[in-house]
Amino acid sequence: MTLRHALRRALDRLPFPAFLRRPTVERELDDELRFHLDRAIERNLERGMEPKAARRAARRSFGGVEQVKEACRDEWPGITLDGLVRDVLYGLRSLRKTPGYTAVVIAILALGIGANTAVFSLVHGVLLSPLPYPESDELVVLGQKAPGAGVEDLDFSVAEIADYREQTDSLELAEYHGMTFTLLGRERPERVSTGVVSADYFDLLGVEPVLGRSFRPEDEAPGADPVLLLGNTYWRRSFGADDDVVGRVFQMNDRPHRVVGVLPPLPHYPAEQDVYMPTSACPYRAAAQEAMHENRNAGRMMGLVGRLAPGASIEQARAEVKTVANRFEREHPDNYTEDLGFGASVARLQETLTREARPLLALLLATTALVLLIACANLANLNLARSRRREGELVARAALGASRGRLVRQLLVESTLLGLAGGAAGLVVAYLGLDVLTELLARFTPRAAEIALDGWVLVFTLGLSVATGLAFGLMALPPRFDLARALRTDSGRGPIGTGRRGLRGALVVGQVALALVLLAGAGLMIRSFVGLQRVQLGFDPEHVLTAEVSLNWSKYSSIEGELAPEEAEALTRAFWHELLDRLDAHPEVVAAATADRFPFATTGSPFLQEVTIEGRAEGPEAVEPRADLREASPGYFEALDIPVLRGRTFSERDHADAPAVAVVDRSTAEHLWNGRDPIGRRLSTDEGDTWATVVGVVGDHRGYGATDRVYPTVYRPTAQAGGAFRVIARTRGAPSALAADLERLVYSVDPDQPVAEIRSLERIVAESVASPRLTALLLGLFAVLAVVIAVTGIAGALAFSVGQRTRELSLRMALGARPGEVAWLVVRRGVLQVALGVALGLGVSLAAGPVVESLLFRVEPADPGTLTVVAALLLVAAGIACWLPARRATEIPPARTLQA
Amino acid sequence: MTKPRADAHPERTGELLQGTLDLLILKTLALGPQHGWGVSERIRQISGGTLETKEGSLYPALHRLVRKRWIASEWGVSENNRRAKFYRLTAKGRKQLAREEATWRRLSAAVNRVLEAV
Repeated sequence: MTLRHALRRALDRLPFPAFLRRPTVERELDDELRFHLDRAIERNLERGMEPKAARRAARRSFGGVEQVKEACRDEWPGITLDGLVRDVLYGLRSLRKTPGYTAVVIAILALGIGANTAVFSLVHGVLLSPLPYPESDELVVLGQKAPGAGVEDLDFSVAEIADYREQTDSLELAEYHGMTFTLLGRERPERVSTGVVSADYFDLLGVEPVLGRSFRPEDEAPGADPVLLLGNTYWRRSFGADDDVVGRVFQMNDRPHRVVGVLPPLPHYPAEQDVYMPTSACPYRAAAQEAMHENRNAGRMMGLVGRLAPGASIEQARAEVKTVANRFEREHPDNYTEDLGFGASVARLQETLTREARPLLALLLATTALVLLIACANLANLNLARSRRREGELVARAALGASRGRLVRQLLVESTLLGLAGGAAGLVVAYLGLDVLTELLARFTPRAAEIALDGWVLVFTLGLSVATGLAFGLMALPPRFDLARALRTDSGRGPIGTGRRGLRGALVVGQVALALVLLAGAGLMIRSFVGLQRVQLGFDPEHVLTAEVSLNWSKYSSIEGELAPEEAEALTRAFWHELLDRLDAHPEVVAAATADRFPFATTGSPFLQEVTIEGRAEGPEAVEPRADLREASPGYFEALDIPVLRGRTFSERDHADAPAVAVVDRSTAEHLWNGRDPIGRRLSTDEGDTWATVVGVVGDHRGYGATDRVYPTVYRPTAQAGGAFRVIARTRGAPSALAADLERLVYSVDPDQPVAEIRSLERIVAESVASPRLTALLLGLFAVLAVVIAVTGIAGALAFSVGQRTRELSLRMALGARPGEVAWLVVRRGVLQVALGVALGLGVSLAAGPVVESLLFRVEPADPGTLTVVAALLLVAAGIACWLPARRATEIPPARTLQA
Repeated sequence: MTKPRADAHPERTGELLQGTLDLLILKTLALGPQHGWGVSERIRQISGGTLETKEGSLYPALHRLVRKRWIASEWGVSENNRRAKFYRLTAKGRKQLAREEATWRRLSAAVNRVLEAV
């Protein structure tokens, strides 16, 4: 054997793709068969046949040359690619011949796969992908709680931070808190959200600036030159991504800060801030630092983020933190009283960022998966019907020598092609819908910014497309291929039709059950949303404009020591007096006021403070009642249309030198004075140092997001208690009419005072229910989709069955069966399947109830009303689906078919 | 001229010989290397005309046996001086032939016993 020969043999053994070898191999095959044919012709000639006859006979005996070649090709190893290409081309041809089927399948797949792709992008971006910080699984967040005061999320004080830092070995800690500053030095005063962080904050996270440098320990030293880091979004938005910004100096309130760098575009924890400065630059923080030894609670406004020390585990960190917290209670029993229920915890940063989004994501994932399942079941049914119609073609191919394996492969390639096409279309669907979904998620997690159609999502889509294609292809395969029976031209009964009836029925039951589950989910969400809309707010949000006017506290407060406290207070009061006067004078304004907060200004729950009632003899262990404290100016109640139930509200005569007064709401009156008239009684909010007389009772309100809970509220006038941060004004017409003038009015009182967050209260309240609204909308959409798919599936299956039984039915009618009986005969199975499906779906809905409970509002997961309505809807829809085929069945003329 | 037997349904002959065709080919090649036409002729001759191989079955079978490495192929010159593809039995093929022969004999003996029992 020559070397070339041996090489050829070796090459032959490798599974080389055919198109590399094809020319030679094909030619050889041709030569081989031609040789055989020639010899056959020769023999025929020897036997005395005429040349023409000889050739014809030989060819006939040979059979189809092409078929023989095909059969040989099938036997070759490693030619799968070639065969695959041929299968693909064949599949494309046959799909083109049935454009209706192809279009419907691709459309259904596009919706089903697209929805799943979009939700997977959400899940991947928010839950699966690691945080974009180095070693992000080592990053943790510390938390404290005081449930006795109604607070689940308690900020850290300066003293506590110092203790945690000193007393833990397994953690490196950095602190942060959010403030607002006025940035001066540009055309207009700008209010900027500011993150005040310890110098090691960015190093701990592993964040490198894109321009300039990060904070250094020297920046935090007392008396150091104040510096500033710009957030990436703010830098782009406000400075146009100007590279020259580093080194520029801006005035933050009254102190010049030098910009030393710009941060990269990474998600901010805990929230997006415009700029960052070191702790030494915040006067509140500095003041709290000085007071920390006398006042344990000084500066209670910080958050703590940490990184596990090398080799430490999160359990160690948890144990240490718990020990430190227990020590707090022991060493400072006055601050950490029993009733507070104080505790501290450590959680992974990734988990904290994503916790709120998890229920919603789970819901979306389950929903889209269900929709896809229903779609698959439906497509399998469609495919089965199509196979039935293609019987002839398949039979012919089998007769020509295609093995069963070959045919199966062919059918699967076809359905996979459809799956891939549907997946590609699904990507477009996902791309279109992703923005809306991302916006929804953004309310639940700051990681929403990381959601994108990236590589992993594409891989997922590809896998899902192939899997789906294979799935509905496999479900539609003929069970046995009996050629002999197939060749009989029997009407209606072919090898594909008879088998698989049980599977088709199961598919219908499954579809109905899933559709019911989705409908139930959507129904519950819609009821939740409606319930939220109907929550009695206790005030009227229409025609109210709100704005945030946080006074430049360097100018208006004594915190920096330049003004005496009385001077600062006088300045502040003068500002508000002037502003409110000018507002009241505005023709659009009905009533204007200032307050520390207004309803829905913040989400989350308020920190309830202790209120002492005069004249109540309490034992030493008694728990003080707690209420939400609010400071408001006289116009507040009128501006919000909060009803006055008894007595009066604030007026001009409740100024700083007048006797201290307070107004309470109804629930406070109930709880604190057991329903007795509180007017004239006195209460204290600072443990008895000062007392205020109650002069009026107003109605309750709900002001903390979409919830049922009423927090008892005690109001103090801003003239006496300070706390004026926000402006609210009731307008005659639309609030937008006042919006433009508001800024102008504020500037006319103080040109350096920025106004921010000018919004109408109606919009704010509407936004608070935006998430449930969007979720209800989405689920409703999916549910409708599922019902449509399921109903078409039922109708299709029944129509198919009618087609199968045409002869039988017409026979029956010829034998005297009434149309009604025939219709019932056809529909009987369908009705049974639907009933079974509904029952199954109800069962699943009840079982899955606890899972969605957290997302519902004022509605039980097993709400009988919703489930009944939903089941009825589905039965009606299914009934309509059954009706059409039933009617068709009755229209089968008895006589004609008997002739066949 | 020997015609194919009248009751030999083309399809059935193919099916029947699927497993046995392999055996016959292997046996034929045990007598010496041969091209496809030669194998077909040999089988016909030795069986006295009873067994006719269809080209549609023969050549795929030959290619299959090559894939299974029981036979190997080589281009050569035929007895009438033409280029032809020759097949020969490999060592593996020889072992397989022995196995299949044994199985066949066992099976046919069993069938015979049943037929004679009645």
